[in-house]
Amino acid sequence: MIHLENISKIYPNGNEALKKISLDIDQGEFVFIVGPSGAGKSTFLKLLIHEEKATFGKLTVNGRDLIKIKNRKVPYLRRTMGIVFQDFRLIDKMNVFDNVAFAMRAIGTPEKAIKKRVRYVLKLVGLEGTDKRRPNELSGGEQQRVALARALVNNPEIIIADEPTGNIDPERSYEIMKMLVAINRRGTTVIIVTHEHELVKEFGGRVIRIADGEITHDEFLPTKYQPERILNSQNSSAQNIPEKKHRVNAEAEEESPAEQNDNENENTAEEADTL
Amino acid sequence: MKLSSTGYLFKEGFKNIWNNRMMSLASVIVLVSCLIITGAAALISVNVRSLISQVGDDNEVTIYLKPELSDLESIKLGGELGKIGNIESYVFNSKDEVIKQYEKNLGEEIYESMQGDGNPFGNEYKIQLKDLSKYSETVEKINKLEGVDKVSDRSDIAGKLTKLNYFVTLVGSWVVLILAVVTLFIISNTIKMTMYSRRFEISIMKSVGATNAFVRIPFIIEAMMIGLISGLIASGAIIAMYSPVRDAASGIIGMIADTTLTVKQVWLPTLLTMSGIGMLIGLIGGFISITRYLNKEGGAIIGK
Repeated sequence: MIHLENISKIYPNGNEALKKISLDIDQGEFVFIVGPSGAGKSTFLKLLIHEEKATFGKLTVNGRDLIKIKNRKVPYLRRTMGIVFQDFRLIDKMNVFDNVAFAMRAIGTPEKAIKKRVRYVLKLVGLEGTDKRRPNELSGGEQQRVALARALVNNPEIIIADEPTGNIDPERSYEIMKMLVAINRRGTTVIIVTHEHELVKEFGGRVIRIADGEITHDEFLPTKYQPERILNSQNSSAQNIPEKKHRVNAEAEEESPAEQNDNENENTAEEADTL
Repeated sequence: MKLSSTGYLFKEGFKNIWNNRMMSLASVIVLVSCLIITGAAALISVNVRSLISQVGDDNEVTIYLKPELSDLESIKLGGELGKIGNIESYVFNSKDEVIKQYEKNLGEEIYESMQGDGNPFGNEYKIQLKDLSKYSETVEKINKLEGVDKVSDRSDIAGKLTKLNYFVTLVGSWVVLILAVVTLFIISNTIKMTMYSRRFEISIMKSVGATNAFVRIPFIIEAMMIGLISGLIASGAIIAMYSPVRDAASGIIGMIADTTLTVKQVWLPTLLTMSGIGMLIGLIGGFISITRYLNKEGGAIIGK
């Protein structure tokens, strides 16, 4: 799903944000990216969504070569992703429904389908009945749930969350994390950049530590939220990492992507019940 | 971009105008001013051309006979005219008919005093030439006839009007060009400000996979609508002012009334052309702004 091979990113000012990093993230993985400020975490995310281009190396995301990708193809890459930001990035003048629908309108979905899907996703994140409310009438946790709904609404293959709990209180942070776990259980790959070690310890999964532009740790941290499916080191392309343990989602392994897609509504309905 | 998005994108374009109404209003005001000047320059040029064309087509020459020439002598001279050649037809106007043309301008008292022997005019002939290129030699022959006082020389007017037209066209073209650049600049600045105020939305659009075409369209629609509204207002103003200005100019130079275009002839072309130009400027200005923005900053999603 995501393949990085000797990826380096050097900014025009000479700052080498990433230094020859290599790793693979498989479909259905739940991944934390941790590390101090300025370590290269945001650059890593920017490369994944092609906001920045790698200076050297090979990078493939959802079957697309991001080194050779043409600019006009980038929107189609991004349609396979849902991005959640620390500051929610909701549009204040739009109500909750329109904020979520916006993501579908931007890719040309017909209004009829938008109505059905948005209501469904809002129910999924526990915001049923808030359609008409404006973001500033919601708590931080609720706003982040709207952002999550927007990220989910186009049924992405990957959710990329950049400090999703950075602006909300601990209790709401847990709610958001539980939702991300639930989303991951549908087979959606979830990549979370965070500073919050407590959340990492609590929710576990694959933890990749970046420091000074290099991957210093890549390990699997088992917790009650993660299924115990561990890959041996042969299947991992992460190089020069002491412990190379990768997990794949049980459902993702058993079902083809098409089947997952077909079963999506059924699965998510079940998860909504668990949230 | 999918067809299903068309309605949404148009709605967004119209919403943008309202959301940025102060900036839109300022743009419309400046654009209207520019378009009025542009339209006026274009209309003056068109009318001068019409005037020249009519003067050029008019191959009528007036032969003024000496006032002392009697009617009989004048009619005899008509026979001489027929022998000169290059004359299609001629019409005789007696001195009484000539003074009658000025009756209104002179007033009753003066007009009455100029009857009979007091009439300063002589008889005249209005002739149509067969071939205008032989104008000079024909006039020369007429001048040699006994009893001819002078011959009207319209070639001078045509020459002056040609020079005027050249001047109007030259100045008009520069005015139109400069104002087109100014209007483009204004409209692209408006769109730039709209984009700046909506850069947040644009970044979200880009993050969810909106294509550049999808991001561009509402801004281009906004710019085209500002251009169209400005074009309609400017053409409305020009059409409203056209007749009074034409009448005033006709009061100074009488021939303007007969040789220039009427409001009935100009209102539709003015409306269509100016609305079209307004929309075209909007399209180009909007496209330039949004493309430059998208190339420069449009890719930013996660943050700077």
